[in-house]
Amino acid sequence: MAVTVYLPAMLRLHSGGADTLTIHTPVFTLADVIAALDRKAPGLAAELDDSVFNYAVNDEMLLHGVQQHPVKDGDRIEIVPAISGG
Amino acid sequence: MSIRDRVARLMAELPAEPQFPTHGRTVFVDLARQQTQSAYTPKRIVESLLSGRGANMFYLYRLLDESLHPLHPDIPLIFGSGILTGLVPSAARGNCTSWSPETGVILDSNVGDYFPSFLRMNGIDHLVLYGQCAEWTLMVVREGAIEFRDARPYVGLDNIDMRARIQADLGGVWTRDMSMANITRAGENLVLTAGIMGGPKAIYARGGPGAKMGSLKLKAIVTLGATKEFATAMPYKPFNRQIAQKLLGTSVVKHALSITGTPFLYRPSRLLGAMGTKNNQETTWTEALDADHIDRYRPGMEGCFRCPVNCRPLNELTSDPADKYGRGDGPEYVTLGKFGPNIGIDRIEPVIRLNNICNDLGFDTASMGSAIAWAMELYQRGIITTAHTGGLELTWGDAELVERLLFMTARREGFGNVLADSTRAVEQGHYPQEALRYRMAVKGLMQSDPHDARILKAFALGLAVATRGMDHLRNRVTLEINAKINDDPAFKERLYGGPVSAEPTSYVDKERAVRACENIYAVGDSVGMCRFTTKLFNSPSLPGLEEFSGQIANVTGLSISPDALDRIGLNVMGVERLINHRLGVRRKDDTLPERWFDEPNPSGRYAGEKIDRAEFDAMLSRFYAISNLTDEGVPIDAWRRELETTLAPTA
Repeated sequence: MAVTVYLPAMLRLHSGGADTLTIHTPVFTLADVIAALDRKAPGLAAELDDSVFNYAVNDEMLLHGVQQHPVKDGDRIEIVPAISGG
Repeated sequence: MSIRDRVARLMAELPAEPQFPTHGRTVFVDLARQQTQSAYTPKRIVESLLSGRGANMFYLYRLLDESLHPLHPDIPLIFGSGILTGLVPSAARGNCTSWSPETGVILDSNVGDYFPSFLRMNGIDHLVLYGQCAEWTLMVVREGAIEFRDARPYVGLDNIDMRARIQADLGGVWTRDMSMANITRAGENLVLTAGIMGGPKAIYARGGPGAKMGSLKLKAIVTLGATKEFATAMPYKPFNRQIAQKLLGTSVVKHALSITGTPFLYRPSRLLGAMGTKNNQETTWTEALDADHIDRYRPGMEGCFRCPVNCRPLNELTSDPADKYGRGDGPEYVTLGKFGPNIGIDRIEPVIRLNNICNDLGFDTASMGSAIAWAMELYQRGIITTAHTGGLELTWGDAELVERLLFMTARREGFGNVLADSTRAVEQGHYPQEALRYRMAVKGLMQSDPHDARILKAFALGLAVATRGMDHLRNRVTLEINAKINDDPAFKERLYGGPVSAEPTSYVDKERAVRACENIYAVGDSVGMCRFTTKLFNSPSLPGLEEFSGQIANVTGLSISPDALDRIGLNVMGVERLINHRLGVRRKDDTLPERWFDEPNPSGRYAGEKIDRAEFDAMLSRFYAISNLTDEGVPIDAWRRELETTLAPTA
């Protein structure tokens, strides 16, 4: 299994500068993905516990139901900071 | 009754002395006679509406003669700074208010940078301008005194040259002891998408304030004088430090605003399938405009007076000093959206260049970009042809054409004269009636931001009911886009004072969230706080009513509780609706562009979403009910009498 997670620049401190982390352990939901990310990059889950971060799965952004959202082999997950502007 | 009579009547009841520490004067300026008189906003008005946007509405309510037209010299143009402007971190803002020549409803536009703060440093909270100058005039506010100068040497200057010439002629230093609110050629030519520039990029943008100021033949207002410390009721700086720490500790500031600025939002909007593209015919666009593609052109960030956030991205496309538009301020998210996807441009460099041109020509990029996109769709559909455009082919994505159109609009030349009439192009006879079907506007105002609101129903309601027209900065329930908040119903309920559906596409209880945002944003405008750093706009943990209440007490000595402030936010909306009612606004005007009711969103996870007319109408009724409004959208009788008593002449 391989799920690729794309990190925005402000989170790459946790990945040693890499813009992606790949998860090979079995994951079934986004909650599993976040837990797996934290094992790879300790402290990342706490950083992600912040309303500024949203998730896009295969280029489609989720607006709710994040933790339970199903994930399958080959999915591309992106962490997207969301703000508003003028 | 003439404006002079109205002002005389008002002056007779206004206090001649300050009503609390830091209270600045209201200066009434008869431009035709070059005469001024000063007084102070009554305490009852400050306690009901605060200052800035709120008290501006008091002055407009009392001085407006709706039997005239917006560009008549007897219709005042009112500048007002917030009650905390210049004193509190990130409170650097003020409003200008009038009757909009673009929309026909209230004009109320907000700016930051330095002008609103420096006006207060000169002891002035409000400037009420009326009458037409005999010749183009420059108004100079120096250490609180007002002088009038011949502005004819400055006529025809756009923003870049105007700022250079004024600095050379008057000798001050921008951001240290000098600021300016000025119009450009577009304002001189009464272009309805013209704003009043308040800095290199800062602009009182919405509703055509540049045209209004141009109609008074006032080229600029310049403030001169050193910054000062205010004598406040109580010490306030320790609390300022807490506010600054709160601002800088908020993740949205730390992670996004201070690093990249608002272009960050482009990516989530397009991934959501909510990025207005080609006049909202489509809803997603290229990743080539994502904020990280701007990184290489961003030499640094700037900020407003005493704001620790510094969210304004600078740009440098070229180091060639001969290229006037090779560098500048911005773009913000709105400009990126309006001059990128909305007109089909798919490279970042032309978007930045067009941004720099708009800053120089003094355009509201929201209305200007939308007017061009509207014309392009009409051309695409054959509703207008080269016979209308003077031979120009309005092709999506043609950046060189757009650049040319901007200059033509500023001069009202050729097809530029059509674009200069903005949403009024049908009324002015430029386009056939069927063009209105594709106009992305509410109450005559083009949509402020590029976000297509067919998905998020709270966004849609906000755009429909905003008092100045289709604008997200009046009440946007921005946190509807944050999944973590949607997934925590108890937290969401606390934020908005009651349950709001977690489902973003639902209509259930969205009116409650819009009401809460409209209140706190109206208060933010009236204290002078930036929207980006006001609670609920970008984060649930930014300064809000509690902090405003605390600093109002420290600075002015006035005791206004957070609940009372919430009520003041409602009052501001109520007065705006009373004024709009006089201008003919009714329930039918609290609506959305036809496209959003009829055409499903074409892309993304939420493809197929549109606005259901019956559901929308029911949501609007619920919004009116919780806002103390009648079925026609004006304050119910008891509240109306209360507001009218507050606003009315005193014995």
